[in-house]
Amino acid sequence: MATKSFNAFEMAQAQFDQTAKQLGLDQATCELLRQPLREYSFAIPVRMDNGTTQVFRGFRVQHNDARGPGKGGIRFHPMETLDTVRALSMWMTWKCSVVDIPLGGSKGGVICDPHNLSGREQEQICRGWVRQLAQDIGPDRDVPAPDVMTNAQHMLWMLDEYETIRGARFPGLITGKPVGMGGSLGRTEATGYGVVFTVREALREMNIKPADTIASVQGFGNVAQYAIQLYTQLGGKVIAISYWDQKEQTPRTLRKKDGIDLGALLQITDRFGGVDKDKATDLGYEVLPGEAWIEQEVDILFPSAMENQITASNVNKISKRVKIIAEGANGPTTPDADIEIHKRGIFMLPDLLANAGGVTCSYFEQVQSNINYFWEKDEVLGKLDTKMTSAYLRVSELARKKKLYMRDAAYTIAVDRVAKACRDRGWV
Amino acid sequence: MNENGPNIDKLLHDLSERAKELNCLYQIEELLKDYGRELDDVLSKVAEAIPTGWQFSDVCCCKLDYGDHAYCSSNFAHSPWSQTAEIVVQGLVVGRIHVHYLENRPQADSGPFLKEEVKLIQTISERIAGFIQHQKLNQILREVERARDTVSPTPSSDWRIVIDMLAGTNTVLYNRIARKLLITLCRQGTPEAIELQRIFSSDRSLSQPGTEEGENQPRRIESSIGLEANSESIFRIASEHMPSATILNLVQDWMKEDRAGFLLKAVSDPSISLGDVISAVRRFVLLSPSGIDLPDFTKKSIRVALLRRIFSDDLDYIRIAKEFVNLYDFHELLSRVVYPSGSHGRLGGKSAGLFLAESILKKHAEEFPELAALRVPKTWYIASDAQSVFVHYNNLEEVVEQKYKDIAQVRQEYAHVIQLFKNSQFPPDMLQGLSMALDDFGDKPLVVRSSSLLEDRFGAAFSGKYKSLFLANQGTKAQRLSALTDAIAEVYSSTFGPDPIEYRIERGLVDFHEEMSVMIQEVVGTHVGKFFLPSWAGVAFSNNEFRWSPRIRREDGLVRMVPGLGTRAVDRLSDDYPVLAAPGQPGMRVNVSPEEIARYSPSKIDVINLEENCFETTSVQEFLECCGDELPDVANMVSILDGNEIRRYSIADMDVNYQEVIVTFRTLFEDTAFLNQMHRILSILQETIQSPVDIEFASDGSNLHLLQCRPQSAGQESAPAVIPRDFPDVACVFSANKYISNGTVPDVTHIVYVDPEGYASLEGIDELRAVGRAVGELNKLLPKRQFVLMGPGRWGSRGDIKLGVNVTYSDINNSAVLIEIARRIGNYVPDLSFGTHFFQDLVEAGIRYLPLYPDDPDVRFNLHMLQNSPNILKDLIPAFAYLEKVIRVIDVPACTGGKVLKVFMNADSNEAVGILSQPSALPVAKSVEGLVLGKTEKGEHWQWRSEMVERLARSMNAEEFGVKALYIIGSTKNGTAGPGSDIDLLIHFGGTSEQKETLHQWLKGWSLCLDEINYLKTGYRSTGLLDVHLITDDDIRRQTSYAVKINAVTDSAREIPLGSN
Repeated sequence: MATKSFNAFEMAQAQFDQTAKQLGLDQATCELLRQPLREYSFAIPVRMDNGTTQVFRGFRVQHNDARGPGKGGIRFHPMETLDTVRALSMWMTWKCSVVDIPLGGSKGGVICDPHNLSGREQEQICRGWVRQLAQDIGPDRDVPAPDVMTNAQHMLWMLDEYETIRGARFPGLITGKPVGMGGSLGRTEATGYGVVFTVREALREMNIKPADTIASVQGFGNVAQYAIQLYTQLGGKVIAISYWDQKEQTPRTLRKKDGIDLGALLQITDRFGGVDKDKATDLGYEVLPGEAWIEQEVDILFPSAMENQITASNVNKISKRVKIIAEGANGPTTPDADIEIHKRGIFMLPDLLANAGGVTCSYFEQVQSNINYFWEKDEVLGKLDTKMTSAYLRVSELARKKKLYMRDAAYTIAVDRVAKACRDRGWV
Repeated sequence: MNENGPNIDKLLHDLSERAKELNCLYQIEELLKDYGRELDDVLSKVAEAIPTGWQFSDVCCCKLDYGDHAYCSSNFAHSPWSQTAEIVVQGLVVGRIHVHYLENRPQADSGPFLKEEVKLIQTISERIAGFIQHQKLNQILREVERARDTVSPTPSSDWRIVIDMLAGTNTVLYNRIARKLLITLCRQGTPEAIELQRIFSSDRSLSQPGTEEGENQPRRIESSIGLEANSESIFRIASEHMPSATILNLVQDWMKEDRAGFLLKAVSDPSISLGDVISAVRRFVLLSPSGIDLPDFTKKSIRVALLRRIFSDDLDYIRIAKEFVNLYDFHELLSRVVYPSGSHGRLGGKSAGLFLAESILKKHAEEFPELAALRVPKTWYIASDAQSVFVHYNNLEEVVEQKYKDIAQVRQEYAHVIQLFKNSQFPPDMLQGLSMALDDFGDKPLVVRSSSLLEDRFGAAFSGKYKSLFLANQGTKAQRLSALTDAIAEVYSSTFGPDPIEYRIERGLVDFHEEMSVMIQEVVGTHVGKFFLPSWAGVAFSNNEFRWSPRIRREDGLVRMVPGLGTRAVDRLSDDYPVLAAPGQPGMRVNVSPEEIARYSPSKIDVINLEENCFETTSVQEFLECCGDELPDVANMVSILDGNEIRRYSIADMDVNYQEVIVTFRTLFEDTAFLNQMHRILSILQETIQSPVDIEFASDGSNLHLLQCRPQSAGQESAPAVIPRDFPDVACVFSANKYISNGTVPDVTHIVYVDPEGYASLEGIDELRAVGRAVGELNKLLPKRQFVLMGPGRWGSRGDIKLGVNVTYSDINNSAVLIEIARRIGNYVPDLSFGTHFFQDLVEAGIRYLPLYPDDPDVRFNLHMLQNSPNILKDLIPAFAYLEKVIRVIDVPACTGGKVLKVFMNADSNEAVGILSQPSALPVAKSVEGLVLGKTEKGEHWQWRSEMVERLARSMNAEEFGVKALYIIGSTKNGTAGPGSDIDLLIHFGGTSEQKETLHQWLKGWSLCLDEINYLKTGYRSTGLLDVHLITDDDIRRQTSYAVKINAVTDSAREIPLGSN
């Protein structure tokens, strides 16, 4: 039964197989990249608050580090499985590769539910995890980061345990640290800005001035807000945003045809991106149903809320005017909708590339930590621009030259770079 | 009208005079209470205090003569304008008080003096006399004791000295002691004593124990006259048969007992008024400030009598309270009671609960030092019969009939009743008392709470049915007094409000002679900017009925906390969240990730605005921005949300962006003993009161205050259900015996069952997600709060969604129960989520959560029924028909011949069952209070709705509006409408947009009218009762929107014939 059911790792492998076939990779390389290089599975005994001891299961999967130390989050999840962690570590390899940062792909986790654990118990799990792996992670081997149900606090506990074992400071061990404790400035802006850097380059290639474009944005969270900010700075005009109305438990779209005023909207927005509907009405916004964002007559769509938003059933509502879809969220487009978008010739900025600003900034955090010198925000964002722009140019060039769909081009470049690194090292 | 002005001025002037006099009396009482002080010192202080009570205190002076001494106020001089009172002790004039005015003042009742002042000087002289007498008595007692101590080796006849003294001064006591001595001697078997007894009682039973009179024959009366005459002989016999030391001890004990006699008499005689009881208590305490060593039975009997007199006849209450309260606490409490003259009132349930809790915790404070810091805010009480006095004083008797009127009429008239009360006058003696209370409170904000005799009795929690009103208490004394009386009048009027009356009818308490006592409590808190508020406050329950983790036990308790006034923690909120914690498991948080913590943090705060003189709700963010820095303890309350991190708030944080400041109480929970303290309080109270309790608390930033304590109330829906036993096996759908909370969910008509195996066998992620979407669709279509969702593992899984259906709160928010099924896989049973993904949403919406472990022994799980009943999924949402093997929607009445699923959950026995049963007849479904949960009046809600819809349809000009057909759906159609239900209409519309507009207008009128009718019937108010859904031919063709309901397989719309024009 288990083999029949949905398995994230098998899905990731299938996706890889498809790209490998396109690239014509030899069998050994395929074999190497289909599987993680190393997997660790270990026990973490923890003395609980009530005096008993409970043993938790921890994992770390290092999918590939041919291009540099592994990079990837640590998840605390009660139903964590090794296969999920394998799939996610592979995705990390491709993601780092597509933006051409010298890092490989890893992922880790612990089977536990923080809702059932006190803070002290969670700390013990973090420290136990590091004790088991201290020899196999490190700034030059494998760099963990926060993920599902872990946050900056967990990272600091882990860092502290590692440094205690090693007897020295290694801020580059881990990312996702708070600013002042080895974190990087610009992290909040990174993903949103990254999306717009790729959009800007795409428009440049299309010979369209940003000032002549209008856009509709799904979502009004962190990514969406900074994307809107930068896009507006470039001269573009956002005419619609959608958000989740917590009180009425429904999504809504706000529209203002002469362009939204981000500053004014933020004044009436809570910290989760929920907008006060009545005040928005007072400000002259039309309140439309949640799905209305996709039907707007705009040049650019920014799906930057959550996964599976553009589906077979609403892909047809996309206006003829739309030229670019920039995936700020992870997996906002379902595969069947993707085929339709490809068919219609809309230019797709796939998530792998478009929202890689986040991981790029993590890389910058690690670099700064390693040299123990921290940059100003402008410097971080400037370097981000350079990275994103060149990553975009490589993908779009390949797409153009080989007549590939952008999503496939991004995958192809990513896999190719990793395969090449393995070959160059003489692994295969 | 014109005469009223001066009258009011006069009244106010008089009142302030009375207050002055009382203050003076109080001052003197305070002085005379201090027996440690030298007489000289006390009397000279009293002489200073006396002039403050006189009308022209600036020119008033006083001289106090006692024995050879004279005690003068500093400004004393003789003058012709004077009054004098004698100090009389045991019939002898031992001194005098002289009060002089240094200058001439206008003529009043007695020279320049008011008649009240004449009385005042008299009272003061009596008090001083009492004090002197007490000092003297003490001296005698001390001497007796000293005599005993020094002479005890060879005790001759010291007791004789005492007895002789008594014989001269207090013959009553002398004789009583003689009688008691005789009984003791008889018990010892002293022949002479028995003989003596027989002589003047002629009672054979004493000498011939075997020949008692028949038990049905009255006993003969002993003659006590003979006894009194023979007291002297008794003492003689005693001296011959008992050691002197024993006699001395006995005599001393009896003398002490005697000193409490007047108190016992006052408290146990029901004809003695509350005022006299209070003065008896005061007198007793004055007599023995350090405590009289009374025998335990006397103490107990005084305590019981006082408890009964002041609080309640409730035996459970008295049984527990008598072990904890003490007389000095009563004295403290009774010094702050306002009562009408001749009052026989009590102080109500809320006061009783608080008094008991305070006494219990005080007693435990030695053992648990963390309890020592607990405070109770200063509180004044108004005796319950003051309400009747108020009603009679204003001739408002007719309101008493309110409770027998039709509830709609009560509701209609209630606004009028409130105004009537608020426009009424308080009797002068009450005004005087309230004025004293206000002087005692100063200008601290107050809360006026009802403390009804019915409220918070053991077993009947009346929470929230009566009013609690906050007063800023600012302005002049007159303004403050008027605001206070206004609030009390409003609280009084709330007895006659529709909600309490309805509640009492439901519980069979309507004929109880309801009187309401009132508590006036100082609001705990501090001034912060223009506001006054506690730093934080909340409610705590000793039983946790909302466990979010299997590690939390029921006895770990639950705390709901908010910043500011606790009002927001008491009620369930629809748009905000209090912070939850389990005191017994301080480490276990409901919310773990920074995003969750921020989302479920309180966003609003209740405060008292001192400038506007009102209670208001404001946003936490705005409040902190304006005056967060001034709020005491703020560092323990808030955290900073910084990206993916929740960090501590530090005063070194400059330029705080208040967008990022959230209330988490994290530091309070983690760094202080608060949760341990709370857990201690709750477990001590629960253990002692022998019932789960809930308390309200508040902190001013430095001290924790207890505001209320009562047996834990369970709303009807969260009361422990009685688990039915006698039902056939086939009727059981499931049972459970782990992690059960309380509640009853009647009348479930639909089961949505996501088959664990079917779900696990889905191959693609798209199919897994589709299950979540299908559930979301079903949530919109199925009748609200009448369907249960049963599914594998963790509802709301996000990442690995094969472990549980991927839904958000909005996909399940109409369900009645969320059930998670943990099936064994190999040798391991997966963890369930306990609803953590949206736990707080479930709590606030009252959606039940139930975990099932079908593979456990001793549980039932009717797989056959769940898997083989007809599945109506494809009829409801044809687009998801391909998931038929995974999602099974069971129309319970349709496949069980009209039965419904009822879910009973009982946390006490840790049991839950879901059984199929007839919708209305389930005799076992009783709540703990013994009341049938059946919806007897529920029928009415849908019936009149249904009738009105038919009427509406008849009167509708269908052609004019372009209406083709009208259907009714939802609760009104299903006969399940509750008091707050709307009426769902489905209108098949085929007209123009203008017709649509007119139709809407026409329906709006109906909607408002129906809403008004419903309001009068039930008290539920909305913006309109009709919920109209228009569908078009197109919708019907495409089966979109509500069109699926027409001719649907289940829960289909019912067509209502339209009227012809």
